[in-house]
Order: sequence, then structure tokens, then C-alpha cells
Amino acid sequence: MNNEWLNNLRSRMDDHEEDVPEGLWDGIKDELFAGEENNSIPGFIPEIHEGGADKKEKGASGGQKSLFYRLGGIAAAIALLFLLTKILPQNDTGRTLSQKPADVKTEDEKNSLKSIENEQGSSKEVKPKTEAFLADNILNIDSSEKITAQRYAESRAENQAENHQKIQDIFKLPTASESFQQESRIAQKVPSVDDTVKESAKEQTSDEVLFKEEKLKEIYAENTKRNTPKSRDKKSWMLSMLTGNVASNSAEQQFPGYASITGKAMNVEQVFTTSEHHDDPLTAILLANQSQPVEARIRHKVPVTFGLSLYYNLGKKWGIGTGLNYTKLASELHSGTENNYIKGDQTVHYIGIPVQVNYNVIQKGRFTGYITGGALLEKPVSGSVTTTYVVNDEIKESSKERLDHKPLQFSVNTAVGFQLKVIDKVGIYAEPGIGYHFKEENAPNTIYKEKPFHFNMKFGIRVLLD
Amino acid sequence: MEESKEQILVKHLLKKEEAAWKELFGAYSGNLAYVCSRYVAEKEDVHDVLQNSFIKMFRSIESFEYRGSGSLKAWMTRITVNESLKHIKQKGDFKSAVEVDDLPDIPNEEEPDFEEIPRDNIMMMIRSLPEGYRTVFNLYVFEKKSHKEIAGLLGIAENSSASQFHRAKGLLVQKIKEFKMSKKAQYE
Repeated sequence: MNNEWLNNLRSRMDDHEEDVPEGLWDGIKDELFAGEENNSIPGFIPEIHEGGADKKEKGASGGQKSLFYRLGGIAAAIALLFLLTKILPQNDTGRTLSQKPADVKTEDEKNSLKSIENEQGSSKEVKPKTEAFLADNILNIDSSEKITAQRYAESRAENQAENHQKIQDIFKLPTASESFQQESRIAQKVPSVDDTVKESAKEQTSDEVLFKEEKLKEIYAENTKRNTPKSRDKKSWMLSMLTGNVASNSAEQQFPGYASITGKAMNVEQVFTTSEHHDDPLTAILLANQSQPVEARIRHKVPVTFGLSLYYNLGKKWGIGTGLNYTKLASELHSGTENNYIKGDQTVHYIGIPVQVNYNVIQKGRFTGYITGGALLEKPVSGSVTTTYVVNDEIKESSKERLDHKPLQFSVNTAVGFQLKVIDKVGIYAEPGIGYHFKEENAPNTIYKEKPFHFNMKFGIRVLLD
Repeated sequence: MEESKEQILVKHLLKKEEAAWKELFGAYSGNLAYVCSRYVAEKEDVHDVLQNSFIKMFRSIESFEYRGSGSLKAWMTRITVNESLKHIKQKGDFKSAVEVDDLPDIPNEEEPDFEEIPRDNIMMMIRSLPEGYRTVFNLYVFEKKSHKEIAGLLGIAENSSASQFHRAKGLLVQKIKEFKMSKKAQYE
């Protein structure tokens, strides 16, 4: 038998091994042991679910209540951002004024009374404002101001006429009144900042002041709700300001012949109807370019984005965030030849609301690496096109029109982020990423439409609020 | 008489302990993957067939009888081969592949020398055989089945199995030769 080699082959290959397909054991385990695991802990899992549901319900009801305050907080933060840059010099004078009388306690009564008037009347003059600070300071220092406290108490329905709770009120009201003052001061857009500065009795950076401000408002929110769950203290908020270019480079469209800014080629009919009048600038351009090759170029400039966002950490790894974005898209049209052409400038301003989910991949000391993904809904708030007709390098006519078709723009994005903590609670970050803008036929011809898929780079500052 | 490791493992397997089954998987899955991929060409199918095989083992471990060292492996291999054949039959294109008769007879008198050829390459050669040829070849050579048994297993005529095997053998000899030639060419 000449099949001896086959026996050799068999013995040779006997203990040969091949790569085991990936995930095979997992599949087998799922098939064979998943059921048993379920049986082993009946009643345990449902318990967890119940607990989770309970928590969720609580969170939801609490969340709805606090949503208003959160939104208010965001709005106030934006307002403060602008105010801080504007009133900073004023702050300094305010501080010196308020610090001096803090030592003098003789004017207690008068000032505090005035402060009440001031806050209730919400006068906007400078002088009463200063006096308000005096009052605040005294209030903070002197907790025996029961009259003032009582008046605040009266202004609040829950606190009304509860004599047996007086001791409690005395303890609670200073905070309540403080936050009330805080509120009224925000309403007045007065630099309440220096009060916070004084309270902590140190010099702080503007960022930290911002952070404090936010915190006090949180306290206010808690006071009004009275029974805010304690767990809230543990959750951490992050405020971030960002800027960046949505796309890493500009885009250019080019086509032969004439075109309008919408990117559509002008048809002959259009050209003829517009050239009825002899002194029409378009006719002039057409005539001047008669024997020359013409082409249209549309250049979309690099988009500019500014934004403010608020992040909320869900545990150590995950976080969700939302905020407000502003984006400016500009495009240029050059249709014709070098000397005779139609020039178009289109500017569209977008306001967008992003929703982001963050996942922290790595955290080492000051450095945090994370991935983020989300969606952005943008509404063009205004847009305009300026059309200029240039004949022989001379502007013949210029007209401006507003854009009418402004549909919502939806986009999705994902990015890898790097964050570096600069000082406690303040970090800078950079996020290179990719995004995709869903096409909207009626939308103005922008870079979103021309390059729906793009790379982008965002960077900004993050402030941790806890 | 002292129990061998294999027997101890089987005891735990009978108790359906996850750790024991994981150990079994770790020890034999590589070899079974080789057995399976002799029959089944597609990687994904290999995955499915192996998974089904292990599930079958799990459900029928009670029927396993220990007959000395290596019997567990033999048992597992049998199940895997059966599952592989089941898969090939289910795929349906098995019969037609087996009945292909258009290859000329390759005369082979000499015994090929494959000792220097790496096992991975031998495996590749086996796998590159047409499915029908390969199945018969595998069953005859590796599972030591007779042509009668193969005919019964695959539902084909006995002489058909013999001719399939003959051609498979011829093709393999040719492949070994080609491989050696190409190796030689590389060194020259």
C-alpha cells in the first residue's frame, strides 16, 4: 500500500492547532451559562431595578424643578461673562467703598433699612448701590439683625409667621437673605462680585469669582426648594467656554460660466431678462466679458464659532453637556473675469444648541483624555447677501438682501479631547474632531452644504463647579 | 487506581461547572479549530460550527466514556467532525461539489516528501482542495474512515468516495510539488 505517507501526514498533523475564532468562548458561555446565572440570583436584580427606578423618579421630579434654576444659572453665567469684562474697573471702587464702612458699626440701622428699600425698589443708581453693599456687609457680619431677617422671612410664604421655628429661622434666614440679596444684585447687574471677594477675604481670579457666583445661585435654588436632595452636592458641574473653527480649512467651488451665490449656474433666460435695461450692470459685465472665458468661484471662509457650555458629570467616566453656540459662516462669490465680475458676499449667523456626551478615557494628574460625541441643532438667526457688480475694476452697483430660507441645520460630531488642568478647577482643552452636517436643500449655500463632512478643532476653558 | 487529569476534568465537566468547561475550551479549542477548518472553509462558519460543537459536548457529556488517555480528545474531535459534516450538508452545495468529475486523473506513483513543509502550509494545501474532495480526504486520512463509511456518512456511492479520494490525493501531491518548486526558486 502506497498510502504510508498519508499515515505520516495524519500523525504529523495530529496535534496541530489553528487560531480559535475570536469571541468563541463568549458565545459558548452566553449559550450555556447565561441562563444559570439568571436563576442563581432571582429577586436580586429586580431589587436593583426598583431602586434605580425610584432614584430616577426622584431625580426627574427634582430635575424638572431645578431645570428652571439651571437655565437661569446658564443665562446668568453668560450675562456675568459679559459684565465682568465691562464692570471690572467699577468693581474696584465698589470694593474700597464697601470695605471702609464695614468696620464702622454705628450706621447699622440706617443702612440696613436703606438696603431693604433699595432691594425692593431695585433702584439702579450708583449711590444706593454702594449703600446696599454696606448693608450686605453688616448683615453678613452681624447676625443679630433680626428685623431685617424677619422682613425677608415675610417676603417668603413658607417662612411666614412660624414663631416656634424662630430659632431655626435665625439660622436659616441669613442664608436665605443672603441669597436673596444675591439675586437682587444679579438683577441689578451690580458687581456682587466684590461681595463674594470680600466674604472669602482673598483676591481671586475672575474665573473663580464666576464659579462662586454660580455656586451661590445653587444655594439660592436649594433654599427656595427647601428640600433639595443632599446627593446634589456630590454631583459636579463644569462650565466651559470654547472657540474654534468648525472646519479646518475653507472650501472652494469652481465652475465655468456665471453663477449666483447659491451655487446654481445662471441660465440664459435669467441673463436675458436681467439684461433688458441697457444700463444694467449685469449687461455691462456680460458685454465686457463677451469674448473672454468666464468662471465662477465660490469660496467658503473658515467658520468661526464661539460657545458656552455646561457639563454635568455622571459618575467618574461619563458626562453630558449642553450649551449655546454661535457660528458665523461667510462665503464669497466671484463670477466673471478678473476685471469684470459679480462679487457676492454672504454671511449667515447661526445660534446652535449642542448636546454632547463625554467619556473620560484616561486621567493622569493634570491631564485628562476623553472622547466626546454629540449632535448640534443650529438655527440661522440672520443672513445676508451683498451683491456687487464690478465693471473694469469699478463698482457699478451694490445691493444687499436678506436671506429668507433659513431652515434648521442639524449636525453630528465626534472628537477626541485633551484637557489640562491649569489651576484648581480651571482647565484648558483642545478637541480635534470630525463632524457631519446633514444636507438641507433649501439652506443657503454655505460650507456646511459644500463640505458636509469636515474636520474641526475646538479649544476652550473649563471651570468645574461643584 | 489514580485518576488522570483528564478524568478529574471530566468529573467537573459532568457537574457543569463553568470553570471546568472553560479549561476544556482553553486546552482543546486550538486543536478543534484545526479539525473544523479542515472541513469548513469560511472563518465565520468555523466559529459557528465550533460553538455548536461545544454546546453539543456540554449537553452530551454524560454519554462520554473514558477509555484511557486521549479518549476525551477523540470524543471531542468526533463531535466536531460530525458538526462540520452537518454544516457542509446544510449548506447544500456539497453534493454538486462532490459529483464534479471534470478533473483529469493525476497519475501519482511517487510518495511525496512533506517533512520539510511547515504544518501551516500543509493546512493551506488541504483547505485549498475542492470541498467534496477535501471532505472525503479528511474523513479517509484523518478520521480513518473506510470508503464504505464515508459513502454512508455523505450519502454518496462507495466508488465515488474512492475516486474523490484518489483525486484529492493527486491534487495534494501536486500542490506539495509546486510548493517545493517555489521554495527552490526562492533560494536560487
